[in-house]
Amino acid sequence: MERHFEKELDELKTTINKMASIVDEQVENSFKDMEHAEVRLFKDIKHRDREVDAYDNLIMAQCESLLALYQPVASDLRYILTAIKIDSQLERCGDIAVNIVQRIKKTDNFRDIITQTDLPEMAKIAREMVKDAITSFINSDVEIAKTIWKKDDIVDDYNKKIFKQLVEMIQANPTLAEVCSHLIVLARQIERLADHATNISEDVIFLVDAEIIAHKKKLSNYQLPGEENAHS
Amino acid sequence: MTVEIDTQSMIETNVRHYAEEVNNIKISVKNLEAYFGKNKVLKNINLDIPEKKVIAIIGPSGCGKSTFLRCINRMHEVVGGKITGSITLDGENVMDTDPVLIRKKIGMVFQKPNPFPTMSIANNVVAGLKLNGFRNRKKLKEIVEKSLKQAALWDEVKDHLNDSGANISGGQQQRLCIARTIAVNPEVILMDEPASALDPISTTKIEELIFELKKDYTIVIVTHNMQQAARVSDYTAFFYMGELVEYSETKKMFVAPGKKQTEDYITGRFG
Repeated sequence: MERHFEKELDELKTTINKMASIVDEQVENSFKDMEHAEVRLFKDIKHRDREVDAYDNLIMAQCESLLALYQPVASDLRYILTAIKIDSQLERCGDIAVNIVQRIKKTDNFRDIITQTDLPEMAKIAREMVKDAITSFINSDVEIAKTIWKKDDIVDDYNKKIFKQLVEMIQANPTLAEVCSHLIVLARQIERLADHATNISEDVIFLVDAEIIAHKKKLSNYQLPGEENAHS
Repeated sequence: MTVEIDTQSMIETNVRHYAEEVNNIKISVKNLEAYFGKNKVLKNINLDIPEKKVIAIIGPSGCGKSTFLRCINRMHEVVGGKITGSITLDGENVMDTDPVLIRKKIGMVFQKPNPFPTMSIANNVVAGLKLNGFRNRKKLKEIVEKSLKQAALWDEVKDHLNDSGANISGGQQQRLCIARTIAVNPEVILMDEPASALDPISTTKIEELIFELKKDYTIVIVTHNMQQAARVSDYTAFFYMGELVEYSETKKMFVAPGKKQTEDYITGRFG
């Protein structure tokens, strides 16, 4: 006999998987527009972002219900906590997909400039990261999740490099200031997308191994004020 | 269902961890086996209980939780059971000590509140002391007040201490029983489903009381209520069919249990 809890948990899993696949498509489509340096899918992406937002609210309601009614523990608790966090990351990825096409719209007819920078390479890696993050979550695959962190450093380096490239272009030709400024913001958006993918991969580690690895390196020698002896 | 081979080493590792963390083991259980006739109801239990912590014992009906509790204060033999192995309290073997003395040091609170119905609230609190010949009225009065305050009942009953102990609510009766237990100044309090017969408000009061009591006492609580175990205890032991399957920090047990059996039990996917 299937329990109510399991039924509701399965519904949550279905919802978040649907949201993840829509966000994946949104990111894919926004990069397609970037690749062609023209806005073909802008309306579609904007329209579907409402669906992403609606799933965001639905997932929160489902998690709230599961927590309030069933007080889950162990792997069930970890799944719900992870769902809350990943839901938020996915929603932001969806927003970034919209932001990317908005920037492309403003830089229309400047395809050459994009190809003169490392933006296409950066976008390719960020795209892979989002795809892998979603796959690792859906399949609870820690190995895939771990490959994502290394790529985040590469994306960060590209962001710095592209900033430099675009500043040099502005210096060489000030009439390009506006379009290059948009592209600097675009690179920043792609970098944020990679950050969200990294966050998702960290959440997958918590889901599977119950280990909190977010900020681990940064916090290795840090204690919150007043917490120094709290756990001794 | 069989317990996997690495269970014992895992439990021993956890026990070492507690010993290092708390530096003081109050009760140490080694190779404990308990019987009813030829029926072995507890099998090779090894478990250390740190001082001034709350240890929850969880597991399905018939797993040996209550038997384990009754072994600690030698109540098991009162109901015709036998024990092998050892249980030490501060290093002294419980089995070699006068059971009356042991029950003075290790008090017990039962599932159903059981105040003495013909006694007043005050006399209920000091019943154990009076039974032991303690007669100093001034001191007894002080102990009544102190125990009722510790049991978070004083404010509710201070104006009618001479009323019958049976005339207060079930939740108050259970706190009265806790006051009666702590009046004899025990070191350990065993609680067998202390809130299962109470409404949610009384349950919350008992749980809050457990938080307060652990400053002074070591508490071992048997509960069927998993959330209660998670809320009130520092460490949790999961028993199944007379065996100790897992014993670890409560936080760890309820977020990431080490054994699949434990996971299945606490998530309700058991059997």
